[in-house]
Amino acid sequence: MDRLSNAWQQSRRDFLTSSASGLGAAALTSLLAKEGVMAATVDHSNPLAPKLPPLPARAKQCIFILPAGAPSHLDLFDPKPKLRELHGEKPPESLVKNVRFAFVKKETAVLAGSAREFTRHGECGMELSDYLPHLGSCADDLCLIRSMHTDAFNHHPAQLMMTSGVPRFGRPSMGSWLTYGLGSEAESLPGYVVLTAGRGSSGGVSNWSSGFFPSTYEGVVFRSQGEPVLNLNNPPGVSAEMQQRGLATISKLNARRLEKLGDPEISSRISSYELAFRMQAAAPELIDLSDETEKTLDLYGVTRPEPKKHSYRGGGAHVYQQFATNCLLARRLIERGVRFVTLVHASWDHHSNLDEELGYNAGMADQPIAGLIKDLKQRGLLDTTLLVFAGEFGRTPLWENRGGNQKDKVGRDHHPFGFSVFLAGGGSKGGVVHGATDDIGWAPTKDPVHVNDLHATIMHLFGFDHMRFTHRFRGLNVRLTDQGGKVVSELLA
Amino acid sequence: MRHLPFPVVCLGEMILLACGLSAGAAADEIQSIDFVKDVQPLLRTRCVSCHGPELSESGLRLDQKKRAFEGGDNGRIVVPGEPGKSRLLTIVSGDDDEIGLMPPDGEGTPLSAEEIGLLRTWIRQGANWPADAEPAAQVSHWAFQPVQRPSLPPVADPGWIESPIDAFVLAKLEDEGIAPSPPAPRATLIRRLFFDLLGLPPTPAQVDTYLNDQRPGAYRRLVERVLASPHYGERWGRHWLDLARYADSDGYEKDRPRPHAWRYRNWVINALNADMPYDRFSALQLAGDMVPDASIEDRVASGFHRNTLHNTEGGTDKEEDRVKKTVDRTNTMGTIWLGMTVGCAQCHSHKYDPLTQREYYQLYSFFNSIDEVDISAPLPLEQAQYEIAKAAYDEAHRPLTEKVNKYVQERLPQAQAAWEASSPQSSVVWRPLDPSNAVSRHGAELQKQDDLSLLAKGTNEVADVYTVDLLVESSQPLTGLRLEVLPDESLPKKGPGRADNGNFVLTSFRLLAAPAAAADDQSKPVEIPLQTAQADFAQNDWPVAAAINDNAEDGWAVSPQIGKRHVATFELVEPLPATEATRLTVVLDQHYAGGSHNLGRFRLSYTTTPGPHTLEGFPSQIADLLAMDLAERTPEQAKQVTDYFRTIDPELATLQKAVANHARQAPKASTVRAQAVVQTATPRDTRIHIRGDFLNKGEPVETRPPSVLHELQPRAERIDRLDLAGWLFADENPLMARVTVNRIWQRLFGTGIVETVDDFGTQSDPPSHPQLLDWLAGEFHRQGFHLKQIQRTIVLSNTYRQSSATRPELADRDPENRLLARQSRRRVEAEVIRDMALHVSGLLVNTLGGPSVRPPQPTEYSGLTYANSAKWSVSKGGDAYRRGLYTFFQRTSPYPMLMTFDSPDSTACCAERSLSNTPLQALTLWNDPVFFECAQSFGRRILVETAGCRDDDGGLRERARRAVKLSLGREASDGELQDVVALYQDQHRLLLADPAAAKSLIGKTKVPTDATVTELAAWTIVGRTLMNLDEFITKE
Repeated sequence: MDRLSNAWQQSRRDFLTSSASGLGAAALTSLLAKEGVMAATVDHSNPLAPKLPPLPARAKQCIFILPAGAPSHLDLFDPKPKLRELHGEKPPESLVKNVRFAFVKKETAVLAGSAREFTRHGECGMELSDYLPHLGSCADDLCLIRSMHTDAFNHHPAQLMMTSGVPRFGRPSMGSWLTYGLGSEAESLPGYVVLTAGRGSSGGVSNWSSGFFPSTYEGVVFRSQGEPVLNLNNPPGVSAEMQQRGLATISKLNARRLEKLGDPEISSRISSYELAFRMQAAAPELIDLSDETEKTLDLYGVTRPEPKKHSYRGGGAHVYQQFATNCLLARRLIERGVRFVTLVHASWDHHSNLDEELGYNAGMADQPIAGLIKDLKQRGLLDTTLLVFAGEFGRTPLWENRGGNQKDKVGRDHHPFGFSVFLAGGGSKGGVVHGATDDIGWAPTKDPVHVNDLHATIMHLFGFDHMRFTHRFRGLNVRLTDQGGKVVSELLA
Repeated sequence: MRHLPFPVVCLGEMILLACGLSAGAAADEIQSIDFVKDVQPLLRTRCVSCHGPELSESGLRLDQKKRAFEGGDNGRIVVPGEPGKSRLLTIVSGDDDEIGLMPPDGEGTPLSAEEIGLLRTWIRQGANWPADAEPAAQVSHWAFQPVQRPSLPPVADPGWIESPIDAFVLAKLEDEGIAPSPPAPRATLIRRLFFDLLGLPPTPAQVDTYLNDQRPGAYRRLVERVLASPHYGERWGRHWLDLARYADSDGYEKDRPRPHAWRYRNWVINALNADMPYDRFSALQLAGDMVPDASIEDRVASGFHRNTLHNTEGGTDKEEDRVKKTVDRTNTMGTIWLGMTVGCAQCHSHKYDPLTQREYYQLYSFFNSIDEVDISAPLPLEQAQYEIAKAAYDEAHRPLTEKVNKYVQERLPQAQAAWEASSPQSSVVWRPLDPSNAVSRHGAELQKQDDLSLLAKGTNEVADVYTVDLLVESSQPLTGLRLEVLPDESLPKKGPGRADNGNFVLTSFRLLAAPAAAADDQSKPVEIPLQTAQADFAQNDWPVAAAINDNAEDGWAVSPQIGKRHVATFELVEPLPATEATRLTVVLDQHYAGGSHNLGRFRLSYTTTPGPHTLEGFPSQIADLLAMDLAERTPEQAKQVTDYFRTIDPELATLQKAVANHARQAPKASTVRAQAVVQTATPRDTRIHIRGDFLNKGEPVETRPPSVLHELQPRAERIDRLDLAGWLFADENPLMARVTVNRIWQRLFGTGIVETVDDFGTQSDPPSHPQLLDWLAGEFHRQGFHLKQIQRTIVLSNTYRQSSATRPELADRDPENRLLARQSRRRVEAEVIRDMALHVSGLLVNTLGGPSVRPPQPTEYSGLTYANSAKWSVSKGGDAYRRGLYTFFQRTSPYPMLMTFDSPDSTACCAERSLSNTPLQALTLWNDPVFFECAQSFGRRILVETAGCRDDDGGLRERARRAVKLSLGREASDGELQDVVALYQDQHRLLLADPAAAKSLIGKTKVPTDATVTELAAWTIVGRTLMNLDEFITKE
């Protein structure tokens, strides 16, 4: 009881003033979210009301692109000429001795160079694969980390590691942490929106779960066609006018109950219904692209033709269009004040037929993401919008040889020891290549960045000390960065 | 400080280096060190598991000031003020030649430079160790103290005391000068009680019964009625399933369905309805497989352990997955029965609670020897019904089998004698021919089998020709040949042919003969013409006659009847005498151009009976026996004849057919299965997992509970899960009863007496009413751990019956209502919301138990799972309208309505759900097709139940009154009636202007007689509105 009233009093006093208040505010939000505990005089009708972070922030909004399945760093981001020279040779025994693989058979594994050509881009001279020409034209805005490593090597745990900081179910995703800590500027849309393309990801909805936070902070899946949000449309026969008048009666009857019982939760309910009603108009408007110019559509590649063949792991009838549309919708969501947008595409799990599969996926992703970065930049949004492109791990410098059969040596296996991710905008440093892996891209030799370090850095950009941004759960002060994490200052602009 | 868990490669030399991150800077020398904050946690997490109360390696203890400064077997290690003389620093730096690095490899993470710096500064500053920093302070934590039986506190207003509970609550309120709230109105109270105990609203009739019961004890009678309802087990079962992390699928990427999971849920519901004492309820779930004479139900209960996640993703390490499950089982037990977050000690000794990492793995060890099994588990009722039906069937079946036995004993011998007298062997008899030589033109191998058939092996070329020599000697001339083609496991599709599809094409079948005794040069075999080919089956356009015609292109084939024996017979145009030994040569030509359609296995036989021949004929072996003198038959031979006769005796066949026909009506045994566990035959070795890494094993540990709690008295030498269950319920356990009653209190009041319902450790909040908690715990124990009884005790109290209206005067003094000056007002859980909408609309199909069901959900939704792995085919009929707890719970794409209203994700034990209030909830109640269907039915129900009302003001008010009564369970106020009628009139007017909208709005709902489509549509909107009110989804 003391804990609550202290936090409450202190939060009221210090809110927005001292640097500790961000924590107080976050704790307050948690307390407010428990129904029935607040006094009638407190207006907590909107748990998503915008809040300031405790520390100076560079980023205000985030677009997190999750290429689920884990793209090959060796064929996109991290050139390894030495690996090419060693193509076909056996890896040193000591390298693979104590390593677990999902599918690679150690006895017959051989090193595999990339078939891709890497060229330098921008003033910074960042080397990227020929699969990423459009992103190459954004090189001076990209902050490429080539020394990532993670703790999990199966998809679902590793995706959870990347999205929620631990390789297990049940923790809030990064988007939940940020909407919990910062609320949202969007008045007619949820604070945390998810857009998907391609097949489902291994992690499914757990990748945008609110964990132990209330579902207020869970990612809301928007669809780019039809009904953008589950249950958004009125049932057949119910017109907007009928809906509006029905809402008026709901509010009126709820207000009568509020008057009688004084429970502030009732006013919170009234607000939720009003936001829901506003969303019914705002969400269709969001996905209606008729006000976008042809030039913008072309920039993202929304109308470019689909490849003839699309029967790939990441394929589908309209996946190119879907992904490009999602990138454009991400910008529209950012413009409307949404705090966190997650773009998911699956799958990049290229155990076989690597060149063709990866070519399809990269072709899908390259132009729209580059278009998104350029568009955000020209609209002045890139300064405060952090874009993250991060798969759950990398892929082996060894050919995968399922069943020990050399005939199938055309893919790469799961590789948690070293991989690449990139950031853009939101206070990240453009034109930077941070860290390096060894000659075969196995593990970092310089400036290793753990997934939790990336999280700590992102939290820093948003004005949070990751060590102090905690929530008490099951007897522990839980944070996004679990037991580790340190801010990587070299990534900051 | 994080270590890179992998080597780094430097190619060229191909040398591998171990690499860690560079050490951080030493601690700031200027800072002042706080022992409790800075040093003690280091000692506790890194040193005390070996140098502490349970192990004092080298005689050293670092948990007590005196012992720490005394040092151990190797002398002093801390000299205050003199870091240079303090050996502790060289030891933790790994610079001590004698002792080496501490903690040693495998026992813990070495200290970082920063941490060593901290220790150095602490020693330099005088190694201050405050006397009150002894760890004994931890054990004095209230929750580890024995449960007291408190005496009731005196109160100023004894009239308010309905139950001892009230005394504890009132005493505290009086201390604060606060009066309790008045009792809730009866209509509110019955609704509250129904939600709390059954998870369903009362019907208007049930409400009226209670409102009209003016005799004393009305409430008590109501409580008894409610507790007796079978829906009690569903409501409290769902609470339990939250703790048991129940789901219908595996979780992780593949997220396979668990078709038998529901069987455990049924057990929970039934056990709670039967008010099984909580000690037994717990023991069976923890160790139902180990109780003496474990019944099927007991073993089903052990399925509690099977609710863990299960990873079947490709490349998963099975041992890692098993370890994860074992960890989850350990942690779940800790949360449910101890209220302790034991999981914190998985990677290192608990920072706050008296639980070392060693003790964690000692606890883990109880669950480490579990193996998973699926068992046959008929439902008790189902099994009983089966047994009754089976008995009746057996009763009816017995006379039929008796008839057979009687016939065999009494009449079969005569029948056989009569049969033998009729010389049955005079019909056709096929005698197998023994191949003396068999060759294939293209080199296939033709191997003779025991049954004298030939099996083709080796090469299988197009158009092979087999040539088979057979010797025969017979007193009668040969009149026919028989070819049997036989299936064999070695052949494609089991043959009988060698083609990929199991077929063959016999294009030509020829017979040649020569005297066997003649010299080779004189014995040119003579072609013996054949005629009248017949077969049991021939492929369309591939008749057997084609095998003996002149056309080499056609022939005999048997597709699609592949994998079975087939028979062909051929008559000799002229009988062939064979009184002298004769060599027959059969040529089988398989000249089929379309592929290697050669025979796989076949056998040749002959007959001497004049044609026409039957395909099967009389078995040669029996024919020989019958030809013998009766007296010469050995008993074995006599039995052979009898056995054969039994297969052909028509009378016996009739009797046996009656038996077989009746057997088809035999009742089917249940196919229901359940997930269960068993104990491995030999216990698994349990070791500390260093830093929680299952590959990094430390010292072995024994099986035992944490030392901060009472001793365990094992039943036998080997301590097991059943011992653990007994230990949990030992009188000395201070936690179990407190944790349990607190959780029940939380369900009934919204907040526990201890707010952290899953954590009673040193970091938990102190109880708001410690004596009340102990009184309830003691009462629970005294009452024999009956859950219903303790719930009855609580709901009968005046504390429970208070109004939940907010009290503005207490807003500042007691914002959280911890003093219990009123009841709490809370939104009900996801399942209850669904159940209520179905209940009010009359759609609810309220059957108890059974497999999980799939109510309608948006089709796109399951597409979010990996490769659309979670197929969702909507349940048919009434199963689409079952209570929420029966909804199939697919872990990676849980039913969206449930998740929108904060159902737990079922990945780990959940003691308390979060409660959110979001616009998506509004959209769900407004527009989800399931809820709108409820609104349509509700609209119709309003009209039907007010059938006599006219469409005037009075009539509309009456309908509105009924609508409010049905949905909110109370009378509407005048203002509310006005609002509802105004809404109706407004919507009715809009709909009159748009009849098409009205029509589509009511969907398939039947318009009641005397009502119009527009009226039904407008009342549907009214129903929808009422079901969207805050009050509708709130327990007040």
